[in-house]
Amino acid sequence: MAMSEVYVHGVTEAGARAVIEGAGARAVADGALAAIVTDASSETRAADLMRRHWQVLEAVAATATVVPVRFGTAMADEAAVAAEFLAPRSDLLLSQLASFEGKVQLTVKGSYDETSLLRSVVDGSPAIARLRERVRGLPEAAGHYERIRLGELVAAEVEQVRVRDGNRLHERLDGLALATSREPATGLHGAVNSAFLVERARMAEFRRAVDAVAEELDGRVDLRLLGPLPPYSFVAEEAPAWV
Amino acid sequence: MAVTHAAPSGYAERPRPSGLADVVDVILDKGLVIDAYVRVSLVGIELLTIDARIVIASVDTYLRFAEAVNRLDITQDGGAGLPDLMEGMTESGAKSKTKGALEGVKDKLPVGGSDDDDGKSSRRRRSSSSSSSSRSRRSDGDE
Repeated sequence: MAMSEVYVHGVTEAGARAVIEGAGARAVADGALAAIVTDASSETRAADLMRRHWQVLEAVAATATVVPVRFGTAMADEAAVAAEFLAPRSDLLLSQLASFEGKVQLTVKGSYDETSLLRSVVDGSPAIARLRERVRGLPEAAGHYERIRLGELVAAEVEQVRVRDGNRLHERLDGLALATSREPATGLHGAVNSAFLVERARMAEFRRAVDAVAEELDGRVDLRLLGPLPPYSFVAEEAPAWV
Repeated sequence: MAVTHAAPSGYAERPRPSGLADVVDVILDKGLVIDAYVRVSLVGIELLTIDARIVIASVDTYLRFAEAVNRLDITQDGGAGLPDLMEGMTESGAKSKTKGALEGVKDKLPVGGSDDDDGKSSRRRRSSSSSSSSRSRRSDGDE
């Protein structure tokens, strides 16, 4: 049946077959390369698929170098993976693998505590404090536009704090990384969301630097370090078959 | 296979994602694009990015910020008396009072409900998009 469609999670060296299978996936090998695939046959929730993608790649990346393929990529069957994905762009894939050897992605995420963030915004801006007082005295309907204005001012202040804190963090960490990717922080209280490509050997040093930044930010930002991760943010987006 | 990492050294150590939001942030729109092949269209993903990357500059957001600021427990005459402030800072007090604006956002994340979510919401993804004008960043032309 045509139900042999597979999800393609990533690429690694053909020698990593055992690791791939240990991660609950299958290896589709072609020459020196192996694609990491799982069955796409059964209906699955998007959230579970995302976890699968994450877990499989994380497990393989623990011992092998991995180039992640974009989440949600499926191909007709294993033969197609070998013939249409791996074979035509093996040079590109091999060079990408080589470029990521011994390197990991470390992602620093930070979020603000809403109360202390907003408190500092109000304390720091007389205009906002005044408007706040006025809005509080108005009935809901009457104060609609003042309310929007107040929120707009607060949002602008929050954005400034976000940019400043992000700059500070990057000043401290960029020097330890081979490449960085500053990505939008999720949600209203997202502070930072940045990926760093780091030599595996410098991970401990990087961790200490993150610790130091957290202190520098006065505990206003709850910083978390994710990783080591496969180099999701540093893979070239396009993989044309002819390079 | 369990992946173990170097021993935690401090506060910031959490190598594993604390919830689906982390997973989404890290993997969505990242990685090699294999052109011209079947891309699975995953129900809910579009919606998820829209909600997670909520647009900051919108009236809705402003109103939420305003509401949250209004609820802040600051002494009326702007003096923000220190004892009062300190008291507000204590975990239980402050946190529970201002769940408003920001928690609301997190709860919106429509995909969830599995064991290792942060347990906050077990809401299933919604079937209809109420995303209004907020645009997700995952248009394919995105650099």
